[in-house]
Amino acid sequence: MRRSSELRALNIPIADELAKRSGSRPRVRPAECAPYAVAGVVPTLVFSPRTVAEASKIVTALAAEGASIAIRGSGTKSYRPPHPHALDVVLETTRCAGILAHAPADLTMTVAAGTPLHVMQEALRAHGQFFPADPPFSAQTTIGGMLSAASAGALRQRYGAPRDHVLGMRVCLGDGVIAFTGSRVVKSVAGYDIPKLFVGAWGTLGFIGEVTLKVAPLPRQEAGVAATFARCEDACEAARRIAASPLLPMASTLHDRHTLRNIRGLGSSSQPWTLLVRCGGSRSAVSRQQEGVIAYLRACGAATIETLDTDRLHFCWQDVMEVAGGAAYPCDRTLVLLVGSLPTEVADVCASISALIQAAEITAHPATGIVYAHVPWPGMGDASAPHERGLLERAARSLLEQLLSQGHHAKILAAPAEFGAIVTPLAPSAPVALMRRVKAALDPSGTFDPGRFVAGI
Amino acid sequence: MFDALVQRFAMIVGSDHVTTAPGDLSNYQYDGSADSALPQVVVMPGSAGEVAAIVSACNAAGCPYVARGAGTGLSGGAVAEAGGAVIAMARLNRILEIDPANRLAVVEPGVVNAHISDATRAHGLQFVPDPSSQAVCTIGGNVAENSGGLHCLAYGVTSQHVLGCEIVTPDGDLVWLGGRAYDAPGYDLLGVFIGSEGTLGIATKVVVKLMPLLEDRRTLLAAFATVEQASAAVSEIIACGIIPAALEMMDQLSTNAVEAYVHAGFPTDAGAVVIVELEGLNGTLEELVRNVLRISAAHGSRDVRQAGDEAERERIWLGRKSAFGAMGRLGSSYYVQDGVIPRTKLPDMVSEVAAIADRYGLLIANVFHAGDGNLHPLIVFDERTPGDYERTVAAGADILRACVRHGGSISGEHGIGIEKRDCMTLQYKATDLDLMSRLRSAFNPRGLCNPGKLFPTSRRCGESARTVARGALATEKARAAGPAF
Repeated sequence: MRRSSELRALNIPIADELAKRSGSRPRVRPAECAPYAVAGVVPTLVFSPRTVAEASKIVTALAAEGASIAIRGSGTKSYRPPHPHALDVVLETTRCAGILAHAPADLTMTVAAGTPLHVMQEALRAHGQFFPADPPFSAQTTIGGMLSAASAGALRQRYGAPRDHVLGMRVCLGDGVIAFTGSRVVKSVAGYDIPKLFVGAWGTLGFIGEVTLKVAPLPRQEAGVAATFARCEDACEAARRIAASPLLPMASTLHDRHTLRNIRGLGSSSQPWTLLVRCGGSRSAVSRQQEGVIAYLRACGAATIETLDTDRLHFCWQDVMEVAGGAAYPCDRTLVLLVGSLPTEVADVCASISALIQAAEITAHPATGIVYAHVPWPGMGDASAPHERGLLERAARSLLEQLLSQGHHAKILAAPAEFGAIVTPLAPSAPVALMRRVKAALDPSGTFDPGRFVAGI
Repeated sequence: MFDALVQRFAMIVGSDHVTTAPGDLSNYQYDGSADSALPQVVVMPGSAGEVAAIVSACNAAGCPYVARGAGTGLSGGAVAEAGGAVIAMARLNRILEIDPANRLAVVEPGVVNAHISDATRAHGLQFVPDPSSQAVCTIGGNVAENSGGLHCLAYGVTSQHVLGCEIVTPDGDLVWLGGRAYDAPGYDLLGVFIGSEGTLGIATKVVVKLMPLLEDRRTLLAAFATVEQASAAVSEIIACGIIPAALEMMDQLSTNAVEAYVHAGFPTDAGAVVIVELEGLNGTLEELVRNVLRISAAHGSRDVRQAGDEAERERIWLGRKSAFGAMGRLGSSYYVQDGVIPRTKLPDMVSEVAAIADRYGLLIANVFHAGDGNLHPLIVFDERTPGDYERTVAAGADILRACVRHGGSISGEHGIGIEKRDCMTLQYKATDLDLMSRLRSAFNPRGLCNPGKLFPTSRRCGESARTVARGALATEKARAAGPAF
């Protein structure tokens, strides 16, 4: 692998050569490249391909130079550890944008992967449709970024995750080969379902150029129910019983006092836990859902219960999406963990987190067993900070160990710079050998962000 | 060497669970497709560890192997075309755990699909994917084929209902892909394993998601004068935001065959019927039923019947599920295709299928999972008429070409296997297929795990698959002559 300093010395000739070959001139000056930093590390070169074909030319040329390439959408999740030590090239996708096809009656849409999610949502809303996912950074994230990070919100409860809605992709692999994988129709089993590999791969298998997605009709009507609880277990029990009932609400989210503070329209509570349930469907279905949800909340000992009309629910939900996964926090000063557990384990996971890190702010999707913890990191200017940071680091490592030993998954979605070497721990049974072989098959020379995926892949 | 392998199998599973008797082997030569081939040995493991040991023994001997569930597949996925070993999963048929609080179950691959819902219904839960063969097909096969079903329109196909699989890799290792919880770190190997047609390994445990049973259900049978009207109604139902639990369509040839066969009460003078099933909470379905009726009427439905009770509902579904079997009324054999098109292209596609039927002088009945644009043309032929089978296969290929031309897929749920492997080039370029081939090699570097499936051979799409049957004979001869694998 060529070292960054070497690439920098060469960058002007390479840039000229690439501009000739790909028709796309990179940014070369540090000041131009600074806005494309990954975890604060400024790349030597930044390319902004407009199409997957352009990306392929760039990748082919750079791979021949031995450069490493990090793919970046709008950069909302760039503090994912381990942070890079140096960065040769950033391939940023925001110019590879636009809605390429929409067949409303087929419930499918094809977009260039750098398209912002909100742009797609607006286009769909005009036809009474939506992409049924509510990941964090909803105002900035690109489709490619959302998929590469496998970001899923609370809507997974009814609709499944974004992975379940990806029908096909056009990708550029590590050797510059462009391939189409999947299909453009809502049902296909012709060949391997390779698009799923690219979801959650953080750009380490290839560049996603275009994506065909399955979309959904907007519910005719929506409404919410918010309840407060003295005990986390009771709130989780209510969420579980609602999810196991025929009510099929759209989503449910659980918030501690801290995360509740960040949700406009819900505000504060005298109780430590708040459960919010989003109902949706036909008019009659929504009122049945609300009634049923309220009955379960009562039975599980809710302290207060209030209903939310559509406007207030949507107003709250703008923030509800953002408090899970780091978007409501300064990304360079917060440790963000995602814990995958079983619905019956959510309350225990919350307790484990709070016991080890009192400052952790917790939100959860109790019906699907996902818990997010956000740990504010002490600032560099603070005199007591070094000691405090040391304690936090140790506590965070113990927490990760403990979660893993209890059989949960824990992913680190973001880490502050001084904790940037931390890696997402893997269970001993994880199929690491297979993952390495998949990486080698799709990115044979290890061009895409080497060393920054799990297990040093 | 072959004898040594058989002996090794006997040591692993016990001699009662290995057979090389010709009579036994012939029971394993077919699946639900037209392709067949005799394996050289059938071995029936009783545990995941035994599966791993069998795969390791096959690797050591260089012997190809294929896992087999109930053998209901429709594309030759479980046919041991290269000879070698069939690993029959029937003994791994236990439901290991039902966890109603977390809405999941852990099952072995030989568990029959319908038995999962049977076992979880008492908890108010169900396993959603319901292929027509659900009374016999097994979950391992569903995972291999990423099976769909009549009720996958609203809730998704198998891959959306599986949380994790324990698998034996083609290296012979036992690993977990996914698990019980969501979001395991690393690549989504589970996502790509499901639907890999047994070419990336063998599932030995499956964690399935369970969904709540719904309170109420309405089943409507609407009759239309033409298939065009019926498909326009289907498109509008979806376009106006109603996603029924199931949305099926049958043309007149199919309904007439079904009526003669099971008397489901389908109107025999209608050009097409549409079956709509709506599910939801008590008291919420009237609104949806009214909307469906309004849309159907706007597209000229003559007559809409709502099932008055469960018996009537079952009769309607019996009619739909008997469509394939009813083809026996029309000819000695039938060949089912499985193309997909954007559902808005249904009317165009219907005329194209009719033109193809005319061109080849064949009878083609049409059954559609109309809601998701998945069509099952049933081409009727007579095996005894020389050339009939070849024309049938060629007509099927023409239908797939039309599907791809409309932006669709050559398979919605039956898989590629042997049957459609030479049609993959219609849908995918060489570089697309190369990506799949790279992935296969990452999992299955020696190619012993279900060889020959899914990837094109040197034949063209639509060339008679009977060449495969001859290939099978060749395998049999080779077996008689000595082990060739």
